[in-house]
Amino acid sequence: MLRQVLVRLLMAVPVMFGVLLVGFLLMQVVPTDAALVRAGPTATPDVVEAIRRDLGLDRPVAEQFLLYLGRLLQGDLGVSIINNIPVAQELGATIGPTLELMAASLVWAIPLGILLGTVGAYWRGSLLDRAVIALGVAGVSVPVFFLGLVLIWLVGFHWQLLPFTGRGGPLWSAEGLQAIILPALTLGGTFVGPVARMTRTAVLDVLSADHVRTARAKGLPERAVVLHHALRNALIPVVTLIGLQIGFLLGGAVVVETVFSWPGVGRLAVGAILSSDFPMAQGTIIVLSGGFILVNLLVDLLYVAIDPRMRTA
Amino acid sequence: MSATALETPAARPARRRDGVWPRLLRDPVAAVALGFVVLAVLAALLAPWLAPSDPYDNNLLAAMKPPGTEGLPLGADGQGRDLVTRLLFGLRVTLLMGLVATLAGGLLGMLLGFLAAFYRRWLDMPIMRVMDVMLSFPAILVGLAIAAIAGPGIPAVVVAMSIATVPLMARITRGSALVVMQLDYVVAARAVGCTDAQVILRHLAPNCLSPIFVFATLRFGQVILLGSALSFLGLGAQPPTAELGAMASEGRNFLFFAPHIAVLPCLLIFLLVLAFNLLGDALRDALDPRMRF
Repeated sequence: MLRQVLVRLLMAVPVMFGVLLVGFLLMQVVPTDAALVRAGPTATPDVVEAIRRDLGLDRPVAEQFLLYLGRLLQGDLGVSIINNIPVAQELGATIGPTLELMAASLVWAIPLGILLGTVGAYWRGSLLDRAVIALGVAGVSVPVFFLGLVLIWLVGFHWQLLPFTGRGGPLWSAEGLQAIILPALTLGGTFVGPVARMTRTAVLDVLSADHVRTARAKGLPERAVVLHHALRNALIPVVTLIGLQIGFLLGGAVVVETVFSWPGVGRLAVGAILSSDFPMAQGTIIVLSGGFILVNLLVDLLYVAIDPRMRTA
Repeated sequence: MSATALETPAARPARRRDGVWPRLLRDPVAAVALGFVVLAVLAALLAPWLAPSDPYDNNLLAAMKPPGTEGLPLGADGQGRDLVTRLLFGLRVTLLMGLVATLAGGLLGMLLGFLAAFYRRWLDMPIMRVMDVMLSFPAILVGLAIAAIAGPGIPAVVVAMSIATVPLMARITRGSALVVMQLDYVVAARAVGCTDAQVILRHLAPNCLSPIFVFATLRFGQVILLGSALSFLGLGAQPPTAELGAMASEGRNFLFFAPHIAVLPCLLIFLLVLAFNLLGDALRDALDPRMRF
């Protein structure tokens, strides 16, 4: 068990290193002078030179990379070219909303997906099952921005039921709750189909297993057979698969945040790239990738924890 | 003599493939999906001849005209450009981006897959570990990073789409290559002294193609979806280029006055991806009924 955990941790290290290298590379290829940017427009050449020395920009590239890593560890991600705000400060303000959006999407999409998948598998071949399959295919085929635009037009504009731009406020306030509904419906909407599909396959597998037949043979009520004997076992692979997909939800979040002007990391990243704000782009990419790696690591560990067979494997 | 003896087993997959198409077309959903894909490809190929006008020809008087307006069957966009024309050219660019990315990423993935399978002792571990990492990374993030380094534009998006294709293609190729490598004719080819390149190109590659082809179809929809999302974000095709994702993004500005400008390109992307996904699923089922979903 401990060895498993260590191996996973060690595997994450080179990946994170690669991400940081990409971030560093990004700062190398850009045509702007980082020292000039930090110094601001009114600085004298002496000051710029001092900052350049301070940042180590006059050292060899390899050494600069180490200095860069050192600054990252201290939470210094540089300063935005556009508005001179420290990147770390801006990132700190956007991580919360992104996590909020992802949580609000998963909280309804996962239960609904599991329910639909189980229902589909139980009444295999029925009209309901076909509907679940169709939903699964449609869910992986629809562009997430299409879903968002349709909801904005229909619910936000035509029916005037819910707000569709920005974050209304903290989640516990009425405005905050209203504002998150449409973005969460959009992002979660792309997640229901895959979850249903995975659950359906897993439950179908388990339903034909010996222990389920035994449970039926000893006269357990059907509800107990499905809920306790089938679904519980089917959920082990489903949990892992969902965990692996959560990372990909981050990609969807980038699009959803842009569509709904949601003040998260994804929107910040896209805005920074489009306005050539390289330090900001670098910071957002590191945070998004780092978050993704962290989620994957947690899922791996969770898998080891819930499936006893993994411990010896 | 040895040549014919070695070639015979290679004919086997071809014969099996004969059965696949009829089986595929018996499924009405797959037939419709295939029909749509063929139609879309033809429309994209013939866009310059089919289109009633020039995709950059704007007539501000026609701006935001709804579908059904005389002379504009699907209406006009925010700058008064005919949407039939824009959609045809957009389809052309979108499909071409998908094709280039699938070919580039697919070939690189195949090469890595063959190398991993063939030189199992030294290359398998390193190649496949790198593929695992690439596989686990959300493609949109890769797109963001590339667009940040190289600057937004179609090339950046195509590179991101290719990178998203490589690891899965490598995995599929390695899997089928490992099976084929155990077969007598490959062992024989090595025994008679064929060079590694000959064995891989002549004996291994042709016999691994059918799962790879199915997989490319399965992935094509997802590759298009990724490309259109990146273009929608503004990281891909730049206006005034007609590309479906970029058109949807432009149409967003007119959502409340003329929703058709955004909805039509979105709908076309959706149908296209849906058709490819359905076709891929059906193709997989037809080749291997055990994998039925």
